[in-house]
Amino acid sequence: AGRERKGPETNIAAQSTHPSSANHSKEAPEKPNYALKLTLVGHTAAVSSVKFSPNGKWLASSSADKLIIIWGAYDGKYEKTLYGHNLEISDVAWSSDSSLLVSASDDKTLKIWDVRYGKRLKTLRGHRNYVFCCNFNPSSNLIISGSFDESVKIWEVKTGKCLKTLSAHSDPISAVQFNCNGSLIVSGSYDGLCRIWDAASGQCLKTLIDDDNPPVSFVKFSPNGKYILTATLNNTLKLWDYSRGRCLKTYTGHKNEKYCIFSSFSVTGGKWIVSGSEDNLVYIWNLQTKEIVQKLQGHTDVVISAACHPTENIIASAALENDKTIKLWMSNY
Amino acid sequence: MGDEPLPPDAGEDSKSENGENAPIYCICRKPDINCFMIGCDNCNEWFHGDCIRITEKMAKAIREWYCRECREKDPKLEIRYRHKKSRERDGNERDGSEPRDEGGGRKRPVPDPDLQRRAGSGTGVGAMLARGSASPHKSSPQPLVATPSQHHQQQQQIKRSARMCGECEACRRTEDCGHCDFCRDMKKFGGPNKIRQKCRLRQCQLRARESYKYFPSSLSPVTPSESLPRPRRPPPTQQPPQPSQKLGRIREDEGAVASSAVKEPPEATATPEPLSDEDLPLDPDLYQDFCAGAFDDHGLPWMSDTEESPFLDPALRKRAVKVKHVKRREKKSEKKKEERYKRHRQKQKHKDKWKHPERADVKDPASLPQCLGPGCVRAAQPGSKYCSDDCGMKLAANRIYEILPQRIQQWQQSPCIAEEHGKKLLERIRREQQSARTRLQEMERRFHELEAIILRAKQQAVREDEESNENDSDDTDLQIFCVSCGHPINPRVALRHMERCYAKYESQTSFGSMYPTRIEGATRLFCDVYNPQSKTYCKRLQVLCPEHSRDPKVPADEVCGCPLVRDVFELTGDFCRLPKRQCNRHYCWEKLRRAEVDLERVRVWYKLDELFEQERNVRTAMTNRAGLLALMLHQTIQHDPLTTDLRSSADR
Repeated sequence: AGRERKGPETNIAAQSTHPSSANHSKEAPEKPNYALKLTLVGHTAAVSSVKFSPNGKWLASSSADKLIIIWGAYDGKYEKTLYGHNLEISDVAWSSDSSLLVSASDDKTLKIWDVRYGKRLKTLRGHRNYVFCCNFNPSSNLIISGSFDESVKIWEVKTGKCLKTLSAHSDPISAVQFNCNGSLIVSGSYDGLCRIWDAASGQCLKTLIDDDNPPVSFVKFSPNGKYILTATLNNTLKLWDYSRGRCLKTYTGHKNEKYCIFSSFSVTGGKWIVSGSEDNLVYIWNLQTKEIVQKLQGHTDVVISAACHPTENIIASAALENDKTIKLWMSNY
Repeated sequence: MGDEPLPPDAGEDSKSENGENAPIYCICRKPDINCFMIGCDNCNEWFHGDCIRITEKMAKAIREWYCRECREKDPKLEIRYRHKKSRERDGNERDGSEPRDEGGGRKRPVPDPDLQRRAGSGTGVGAMLARGSASPHKSSPQPLVATPSQHHQQQQQIKRSARMCGECEACRRTEDCGHCDFCRDMKKFGGPNKIRQKCRLRQCQLRARESYKYFPSSLSPVTPSESLPRPRRPPPTQQPPQPSQKLGRIREDEGAVASSAVKEPPEATATPEPLSDEDLPLDPDLYQDFCAGAFDDHGLPWMSDTEESPFLDPALRKRAVKVKHVKRREKKSEKKKEERYKRHRQKQKHKDKWKHPERADVKDPASLPQCLGPGCVRAAQPGSKYCSDDCGMKLAANRIYEILPQRIQQWQQSPCIAEEHGKKLLERIRREQQSARTRLQEMERRFHELEAIILRAKQQAVREDEESNENDSDDTDLQIFCVSCGHPINPRVALRHMERCYAKYESQTSFGSMYPTRIEGATRLFCDVYNPQSKTYCKRLQVLCPEHSRDPKVPADEVCGCPLVRDVFELTGDFCRLPKRQCNRHYCWEKLRRAEVDLERVRVWYKLDELFEQERNVRTAMTNRAGLLALMLHQTIQHDPLTTDLRSSADR
């Protein structure tokens, strides 16, 4: 029943007089109306990352209390805890069939988990310093990880062996990702470079560099694989067309100078860019016009991670020690 | 002094009696001076580093060195080491500072309390004087040479320094307790003055090094035999070479408890269950080794934190050096990764351990924390939050009574989607189990049927004059090759031969599992013969197993008995009457039919097993999701009571 209520303050209200109008207007609305729906309490230390599962049912959160907690994505209810790491966990990622998780931790290992049974399947050892970021490839037979030891490693899921090591950068690596068909890898690092690699050969295809080179804190491919979103520690988010090496859009207004804050594309309703920020808000920009369309308030500490649900207009955000909660926001569009 | 490899012209060996021009040195009596050498500060003889096994690096840490002979002759001579920070500083100002540190200091009388207070920085005056730059802040030697007026002035001001905040309980104390390990080491309390630190109770609570602070067991009553308190390294005589053992222990994975770790003071309440990684108490021996190992530079930057080794007297440190030596050699054989990983964990453990500070003063009961039990006014045990188990349990119970009801209510406010899925799954599993059981019954029925047929067939009489014999006579010129052995065989006996051949080869391999079959209600399924060599039970079908069951001898008058069929599927109701020995068409038909039925039964059992497993998983997930622990630890706050399900489409 709650779904049927009309948002009072949006321009939809203007159309509500029309007898046959649906809730959603025909033209893309200007702004989303994300509202806080659920707060998930349970971590005992700063939350480092939240990710929705590709099938949309679960939300995985990793934290500095060495645990990964799985929550229901739609009702926010606690589902399960995964134990096993010795030190803080920096990142967690889902496989495409939503059955496996990989987590990257300060104990220099990554662990692969079976979500259904809560079992640890494999531990990937090889990095020589904190492992900071991890991701599966779309066919989920490979895992890619970036670490403070300045290298990117590609691992095989089935055997747990490191297949390839790319000495990618000269500073800690803050983000790695495969593109949507698994042929390219993007990696961003504190040395200010954002590099694109060929996944099969390990060759560096392109380096994106800006005028000054502030540390890159996050990189991500767009869902269609044509663009790259980079976040840098000078309070800027940029959207690049990497084939031409040109920056297309710049998003500012938030605060990001210290932490590697996750950001995300929201494509389920309107096309937005969503990112956390160090001023305790979640920022949402219109992808095309670059203006801030909404700022979500509610956290009491740096919002380190913001994730978008694959099918619904749901955003999950997580904050650091002062807050330790995950908040779920929902919008009509 | 002894580490400069100058050509020792002055220290010429006066004992040399050969008439050569080149002076000879060292225990090896060779004139080689091109390698690293170290000179004895007593006899002025020079020794090769290689001959006495002292490397240049080790020597850098040595302030005064005496050769073995001198030490044996005069027991007062001991090798003096430098403090790390002093090493650096001395490296810079080699010329000027030494006399101030050493010369003046040694001749000074027993320290008076005033000076001690003024000098204050966490070192006993004696220690500070003997190796003045040992104290972490360099300004401490200054007050020593200060004029008396300055001394009085400073007495009135709040004494603050890098290691003293000046305001805490410990900084305000004026007298040494006389009972702690540091006091007992002081000359004025009759100690050997090797440790040279401030009284434990006067270590600043804010700024002093964690390891210097109040340590409950260090305040045990003095016994002459025990110059060092329990938590530290046992007296030198007991030191067995344990480095490899200890390394091995640390290498164990989480969950392993080191039984010898009891040496550590009972800081945590003694729990019998296995300790997690962080809880493993740091073995003091290991800590010493770790400190000693800090003299190495493995190139690990974080090592510098843990180099303070205040309690190491030279004798112990000498051993520590040796241990480090051994460890160095061992390190080559270990994987570097392994060592670093282990050290990182060790460092984490060390850090975690020292993060549980023992701030309270045991002497002053008023300052002990109060037990957290409800209504309890007793003091808590050291290292715990409660005075007794009871209080802890009571508090836990209260906590549950208070918090659990509202959590349960919260949980039930909205339907849990995963729970509903779980229930549906269980339904499905239940249904599948039903159908599996029906199939099983069906199988049993067929089994019995088959047995009946076989039995009846046996009772038939033999009839020799069947026509089927002649039918095969035309095929004799064709040759079939056996599948198993490859030899050409007469097609008439082909079936028989191939069966036998296959059995022969199969009987040579084993096929089994470690567990005997335990299924209720199953009459005969698996062979289950125990193979002692591989410790397995044979898991072939019992009726088929070529290894463990021989075909019974067929008596001459037994009938084949195989039900005859027309067009493959239609039973004619008739049976093959040929003697079994002669029948070539229906060779061991019973075995095959039985096997067919058994296989089906096995399959159904497997399916049932799988379904049981699934059910168990779903049930466990359902319990854990909303179990006591889960509800107490986690909470989902719903801000919009109308929207409990964030799905936009119709709830599925």
